[in-house]
Amino acid sequence: MKRIYAFFLLLSLLTLASCSNKNAAGEPKKIAVIVSTLNNPWFVVLAETAAAKARSLGYEAKIFDSQNNTALEADHFENAISSGFNAILFNPTDADGSIANVSKAKAAGVPVFCMDREVNSTKAATSQILSDSYSGCIAIGKYFVKKLNKKGKYVEILGLVGDNNTWARSKGFHSVADHYPGLKMVAQQSADFDRNKAMEVLESILQANPDIDAVFCGNDAMAMGAYQALFAAGKANHVQVFGFDGADDALQSIKEGKIKATGMQYPKIMAETAALYAQEYFKGKRDFPQKIPVAVELVTAENIKNYISN
Amino acid sequence: MKKFLKYFAALVIVLFVGYHSVYFKKLNEVQANTPSGKINTTAYTRTFWDKKLLPSLNKAISLDQLIGMLHTDPENTFKKYSNALGIGELKYFMVKAEGSVKQVGDNDLTVTLATDNKTVKIETEYVYGNAVRDASGLINRNEFDNTSDFNEISAGINKIIREEVLPDFKRTVKTGDHITFTGAIEMNKKFLNLSDIEITPIQLKILK
Repeated sequence: MKRIYAFFLLLSLLTLASCSNKNAAGEPKKIAVIVSTLNNPWFVVLAETAAAKARSLGYEAKIFDSQNNTALEADHFENAISSGFNAILFNPTDADGSIANVSKAKAAGVPVFCMDREVNSTKAATSQILSDSYSGCIAIGKYFVKKLNKKGKYVEILGLVGDNNTWARSKGFHSVADHYPGLKMVAQQSADFDRNKAMEVLESILQANPDIDAVFCGNDAMAMGAYQALFAAGKANHVQVFGFDGADDALQSIKEGKIKATGMQYPKIMAETAALYAQEYFKGKRDFPQKIPVAVELVTAENIKNYISN
Repeated sequence: MKKFLKYFAALVIVLFVGYHSVYFKKLNEVQANTPSGKINTTAYTRTFWDKKLLPSLNKAISLDQLIGMLHTDPENTFKKYSNALGIGELKYFMVKAEGSVKQVGDNDLTVTLATDNKTVKIETEYVYGNAVRDASGLINRNEFDNTSDFNEISAGINKIIREEVLPDFKRTVKTGDHITFTGAIEMNKKFLNLSDIEITPIQLKILK
């Protein structure tokens, strides 16, 4: 009988130990935050929020910058696994190229929670918490068609061609705009999510197409660049610009009437959810939704007061 | 002679095994028979519409009642009646109501609700988005490995509405008609706006 009590006591202690924030050596569990780049303020917010949330839950957290380089990302994964990190909160550099890294962590028993960007696999990551870019751009597409009254010429400026978000946004937008034959896309070009590149791209497009009515951009940085190009060409008052992200300068521009709309994403919600999922994993949960969308809200002149205070 | 028979038998066996080990087929035949692993979203959407969505519409909440509850106790009303498949402030409700047509616009219908004189809009042109799919609460996101398949369900539902629900109705409806409708609405829980309600229709009926 004593043996049975001892067994249950041991089992209870082991269960308690597995639920605690500490590892076997009694030190706090460690969470690695690996992000595609810290060269973009949006990803800085994502990374810092994830690390801060992990720390607030009682874990050690360290941020790794992959500098948009899958080889460097692979090094970070090797490092995180060999250094005994207990979970990885991950913003992938490449939807296909990052799968191998996530699989390596899985094989080593380290759960990976993707944030914002996805990997093209439903078997590798423990869960993927993703901005619902497609649905957000359907909302922008509807507003775009209404504002152009179903007719006009427009330009689309795409983000990184190899990034899933680029195409999710483009497809969401086109799933609405392409139903209207009066709307004609005269140019579609990539500017890599970069403000200066978008400005140069639009300057060049305007030479061949000076009579456009609108520009749809895959992010707000490019929308701001496009606006600059239009302003320099004296067309800012006639051409409507649409972005995506919910960046502060774009919100201010919507308030000032320079930009028509954007899609408000919530990097903080994604980062905090990823950290909370890691905690639930440590407590024993395993049935996570494979891909969970985070809603993107349409921001326009009509509702900008909800998103900006001054 | 014995040696010859032995070699002949061995040759027959090799030819027999070889013939049955290798076969040739046209590539297009193989591709046609290979399962892609992708859900047939068109068939899925049709089955969902006929077998799940339409039979569930009697569970839709009365729009007047919902507006009243959202005024008095939004937190509990969202908790009890809204659906959403992801994280965030956008939530969806399945609603039904009766009212009279105040205005027939190019893109929507303005309807005065029968019970409290409030006006709402029914979308008749820009039927896009996830309102119906998500308001139904009948689809499990985890059934879909692929995000684009999941999005195609919404696109398929909206196509049925645009092509099968709206054309006859739009042709005949006019100002002053008394109508009943069932549909889906999207609400932002954080920035609740009850003065500008838009309904994506699923069923529309003119009572005259």
